[in-house]
Amino acid sequence: MILRAVFAGLLCLGVTVALGWAVLERPAPVENLPERVAAAMPESGVEHPITAVLLNFRSYDTLLEIAVLLLAVVVALALREAQPDRPEQMGLDNPLLRAVMAWLLPLMLVVAGFLLWAGAHQPGGAFQAGSVLAAAGVLLRLAGVTADWLDNAVLVRAGLALGLLTFLGIGMLVMLPGVPFLTYPAAHAGTLILVIELTLTLSIGLTLLSLFRLNPPYADDPDDARAQEAPKP
Amino acid sequence: MIGLWSLPLLFALPLALGILSLLAAPAWRPRLIFIGLPLMAAASLDTLAGLVTAGPQVYRLGDWIAPLGINLVVDGLAVGMILMTTLVTGLCALYARVYLRNHPTSTSFFWPLLWFLWTGMNGIWLAEDIFNLYVGLEVMGLAAVGMVALRATPPALAAAMRYLLAALLGSLAYLLGVALLYSAYGTLSMAGLQEAATSNATTQVALALIIVGLLLKTALFPLHAWLPPAHGGALTPVSALLSALVIKASFYILLRMWLMLGPEVTPDFTAGLLGVLGAGAVFYGGWMAWRQHHLKQLVAYSTVAQVGYLFLFFPLVTNTGPEAARLAWDGTLMMLFAHALAKAALFLSAGNLILAVGSPQISHLIGISRFRPMSLFSFGLAGVSLMGLPPSGGFTGKWLLLHSALLSGQWWWLIVLFLGGLLSAAYIFKVFRMSFREGPQIDRSVTPPLTLDVVALLLAASAILIGLTAHVPLHWLRLGMAFGAV
Repeated sequence: MILRAVFAGLLCLGVTVALGWAVLERPAPVENLPERVAAAMPESGVEHPITAVLLNFRSYDTLLEIAVLLLAVVVALALREAQPDRPEQMGLDNPLLRAVMAWLLPLMLVVAGFLLWAGAHQPGGAFQAGSVLAAAGVLLRLAGVTADWLDNAVLVRAGLALGLLTFLGIGMLVMLPGVPFLTYPAAHAGTLILVIELTLTLSIGLTLLSLFRLNPPYADDPDDARAQEAPKP
Repeated sequence: MIGLWSLPLLFALPLALGILSLLAAPAWRPRLIFIGLPLMAAASLDTLAGLVTAGPQVYRLGDWIAPLGINLVVDGLAVGMILMTTLVTGLCALYARVYLRNHPTSTSFFWPLLWFLWTGMNGIWLAEDIFNLYVGLEVMGLAAVGMVALRATPPALAAAMRYLLAALLGSLAYLLGVALLYSAYGTLSMAGLQEAATSNATTQVALALIIVGLLLKTALFPLHAWLPPAHGGALTPVSALLSALVIKASFYILLRMWLMLGPEVTPDFTAGLLGVLGAGAVFYGGWMAWRQHHLKQLVAYSTVAQVGYLFLFFPLVTNTGPEAARLAWDGTLMMLFAHALAKAALFLSAGNLILAVGSPQISHLIGISRFRPMSLFSFGLAGVSLMGLPPSGGFTGKWLLLHSALLSGQWWWLIVLFLGGLLSAAYIFKVFRMSFREGPQIDRSVTPPLTLDVVALLLAASAILIGLTAHVPLHWLRLGMAFGAV
């Protein structure tokens, strides 16, 4: 055991030293990519370089990353269905929490909307806005508020798929004039990116919330003290 | 530009079908393959036609030029991998449609995962951008982990968790290397890096991280421990896909990375070390396979062994003559394709034998040859290729590697090729010895559906056939590579 810890420690130390060395010794880049991004900005349809890179110049990467997010939920759904016990009703029945929620929720929705809108010209965008939406959903769940439509499997799945399907559909549709995949026409690039971001926000929010909701109840966790209090059959 | 429509279909179509099969009712999920498989086959063949008529191409996504946007590259190697993926995944999908009928509905999530897996693999084969390769690895890896977890039994979940951690560690090491390369050269495009990269500390550390990360994902000995429980314990079509295709993806990236930077940047001993680890894998994997009592564990350890042969590529191609390097290239790819076909066939026929006797134990196969000759025949045909007996793809691959080793004066790799073949024979015949032993005279075995046997046989026959017609695919595979014309 000690030998293992020493070995692991030496390995970490070695990697850290090597990384430090690599970072300190690194040559100055020959290729100036930020300059290229700046030069291509007028054609990108947005004003913020990060959004332009994520949703136009390297939109293919983003498309596949959204697929990774959806995949995570697919795996969670599969595992949830394999252990079909319903998650227990979660949440604290606390009037104060509910009162605070009533104040917080509208604020969170506004912040999410703002972040989405801000993405076009300053830091922000679908990922940030979606995370805020998901946080609002998690808070609701912790406060014990139930929403029937979140238990409707068809509706939730449609919502999960919406962003990726829109992104993919737009990527294919713009090919009609005979240009490569994901080539937005410069005149409509801004609108298309906004549509993609809007649907992605909803889907990302729902994805993160679903991952939270699909988590098994505490009784499945042998390390949880509450599970051990339960009578053993 | 040729393949303008079919090329994006190669990843967009499986992605769309993955989403659709998530939305579809469980009973409809498998049926989507009847739309998807013909379309995927058509798109793959059209890409091949484009390669043969117009030569290697670069596809600019979003019509942005490389360091700014992402390029896809369509060369012989990429198209070869795409065709192999279509063939193996298509046959495994036909197998799975029948196989999964007797499994709980939760396993119908296999279908969305299958399409996502395909998206990730085709994305990797086509990628020319080292960060895009990382994203492809994540799509493929997460789909693969989900497939291992599908069984949802405690051992399956433990294997999936272990696989997930190994895959994530590998990806993160790779990503760290990519970040270092980007900070030093300001580009993520492979062509750009090949031009700009020089031998210095940053490149070396970056490449070391990338190589170690990919070795972990390829399960090269001694980083193989996650593989046998994950591949051996999964549902049969999943095992076949993972062993045949998924581990090849990280090897493929390693191959491209090595051809891009390897020999110029790494210290001289690196190629030799990779070869030695490969030799270790051949011996250790073969030995462990022979010692297994569970049929699918035996096949999984056989993958650990067979991966080793692929790594003989590095010492045989680095600082050797052009002829030896070309032979090593041909031989390695032949081994890769033959292993993909033969291992898929071996897992599927092993699954058929397990279905027939109702037990994963090798010792329960006694007397099965009398009653299930077809399943055993597929197992044997696939075994012929793994052992490297003529006229199989495994034989052709080993023969080419052997010539390359002799030409470059590295005779010691011959020992690996010969002893490795003997070890494969030992574990394949271990199964045969049991199944030919006379057992009860009454057929107590269950007859698996005919489709399952036919699919396994088709894959096994392809592993033999590819050896007989090796010159055609090998000629295409050289298109656009440094090993070009002879």
